[in-house]
Amino acid sequence: MLLEVRDLHVEFRTRDGIAKAVNGVSYGVDAGETLAVLGESGCGKSVTAQAVMGILDTPPGRITGGEVLFQGRDLLRLREEERRRIRGAGMAMIFQDALSALNPVLTVGDQLGEMFVVHRGMSRKDARVRAVELMERVRIPGAAQRVRDYPHQFSGGMRQRIMIAMALALEPALIIADEPTTALDVTVQAQVMDLLAELQSEYHMGLVLITHDLGVVADVADRIAVMYAGRIVESAPVHDIYKAPAHPYTRGLLDSIPRLDRKGRQLYAIKGLPPNLMAIPPGCAFHPRCPLARDVCRTDVPPLYEVSAERASACHFWRECLHGRS
Amino acid sequence: MAGPEPILEVSGLVKHYPLTRGILFKKQIGAVRAVDGVDFTLGRGETLGIVGESGCGKSTIARMLVSLERPTAGSIRYRGQEITKLSGRALKEVRRNIQMVFQDPYTSLNPRMTVGDIIGEPYEIHPEAAPKGDRRRRVRELLDVVGLNPEYINRYPHQFSGGQRQRIGIARGLALRPEIIVADEPVSALDVSVQAQVVNLLAGLQDEFGLAYVFIAHDLSIVRHISDRVGVMYLGRIVEMGSDAEIYEHPTHPYTQALLSAVPVPDPSAREQRERIILSGDVPSPTNIPSGCRFRTRCWKARERCAREVPLLAVPEVFRPAAGPASHDSACHFAENLSTTRSAPGRAVPPEEPA
Repeated sequence: MLLEVRDLHVEFRTRDGIAKAVNGVSYGVDAGETLAVLGESGCGKSVTAQAVMGILDTPPGRITGGEVLFQGRDLLRLREEERRRIRGAGMAMIFQDALSALNPVLTVGDQLGEMFVVHRGMSRKDARVRAVELMERVRIPGAAQRVRDYPHQFSGGMRQRIMIAMALALEPALIIADEPTTALDVTVQAQVMDLLAELQSEYHMGLVLITHDLGVVADVADRIAVMYAGRIVESAPVHDIYKAPAHPYTRGLLDSIPRLDRKGRQLYAIKGLPPNLMAIPPGCAFHPRCPLARDVCRTDVPPLYEVSAERASACHFWRECLHGRS
Repeated sequence: MAGPEPILEVSGLVKHYPLTRGILFKKQIGAVRAVDGVDFTLGRGETLGIVGESGCGKSTIARMLVSLERPTAGSIRYRGQEITKLSGRALKEVRRNIQMVFQDPYTSLNPRMTVGDIIGEPYEIHPEAAPKGDRRRRVRELLDVVGLNPEYINRYPHQFSGGQRQRIGIARGLALRPEIIVADEPVSALDVSVQAQVVNLLAGLQDEFGLAYVFIAHDLSIVRHISDRVGVMYLGRIVEMGSDAEIYEHPTHPYTQALLSAVPVPDPSAREQRERIILSGDVPSPTNIPSGCRFRTRCWKARERCAREVPLLAVPEVFRPAAGPASHDSACHFAENLSTTRSAPGRAVPPEEPA
């Protein structure tokens, strides 16, 4: 396994109390594999990724438990210097908002080249040549001229390509993409996702794709981990989960997508709201919104039950959910 | 066009924002052609969906419909009355009947006002709509209608979640019992599980109050779910317009075809069968719109005629003789019927990468 997150816990200390953002998350990614981490805002999907990358703001954030094994080494035990060497060369991250992730006062060539200057000790001149190559690699037209342009001179789709180029620069083994196409229009989103998938298979990288979009997940993922209130509630190969979800939350998300045969009728809606992370409900965090909830759900936290060799669900009644009795 | 009697007729609608140079002597050096000749009608109790990518002008249309912006040219008629030139009392009267729900529930509610004051504010502007003593009761009623606890009347916006805030915005839009609600991306800021709740609310209110909606969004599946008719916009113009089935199952404009094929389908088994049209390049700047057909720079079918002649929004000649789902308005010289129904996956020639 290329990356393995084990029982990760992260909390944030705020004026109003302690927000438990990540409460025992475990997942793994192999080389060449795409894992989609699916969830709504505040479910802890981005915080988990930040902890893995080592870019979590501490304070207010604090990792209170767990391990992050990357190529067999626990990153949480490394010194900051060693982690910095791994960031960029071993694993890289693509952010949602390229305009704020890129430095507005440096040309894109300088920013791309910096990777080679800092990590590989290249001269600025050689680094510039590599920057142009990278821009060609992600199909930015007129790369040789545009290498001198600033981020604001590019369109949203082109900026996201530059982010991808920067992530790929040192050919890392793992890429974490946090909502990489959410800010883009659909036609541009399709271009960028295609490019990312193509480069991933070419370099045989592991990809953790963080998203809330069930459509994007179905298009590119091999496996899915669904998160709710800081926990993984279901993990499964992509085909299985769309065919028959084993957790009521996953089922609710899938059912709330508008479908042709339900036109003119009510959309299925999960009742209520996601929980406040400072006051996560006891027992199963989803129970106040769950159509299957019973007494045991209000008191006992469901473990990750094994549904099959490759599937797990954190629901006491996963059998009922899987067989459609809800 | 068949359907209910039109209560809103828009024709030749144009909005250009001038680009100027110089401080003292401003010289116009060009214009952002945000909306560049748009026609449509809206029937009583009908939902017209408008889809398009960012910058296509759909929000500018919304702002003109509720008289937040004055059009550069063209007309908007509400029940036969031209509203673009109105001012004072006459404008106020029309505005009562055309209300807006905004996209961002975090910035469209005043943080210093209580929910009761926010929803009741329309009554301050239109005091004839409700007598003073009755307003509080009406606000409670509205809270109940949109599914919020009437006890929350004295709370502030920050005490609510995004979905609840959007309900407050909807209650405010309903306060004057308008005939038309213009909703500009009303659910795109919300989480998936909450989106469905708000879409259901809007659909329910339509039945209850006989509302007509102009529903503007970039999410094609939600627009299809709620709309009777759909208009597809590209760079300031409607390029295709028809019933939801005509647009989604028989798109004839290449842009619509590309847009529909680019939407990720939440079904992994469709991954291999799907034929996607990936458009090359980006949308051109609205300050510098291509001649002829404005989509030609990204279109894989573009020929010499497309650079010369602006295609009009009408039923294309090839589809005129026979009635059928492909026979709807489409602004393309080379319109082709592309059936996209599930049983027969659409066939399309993917565009070649530009050299």
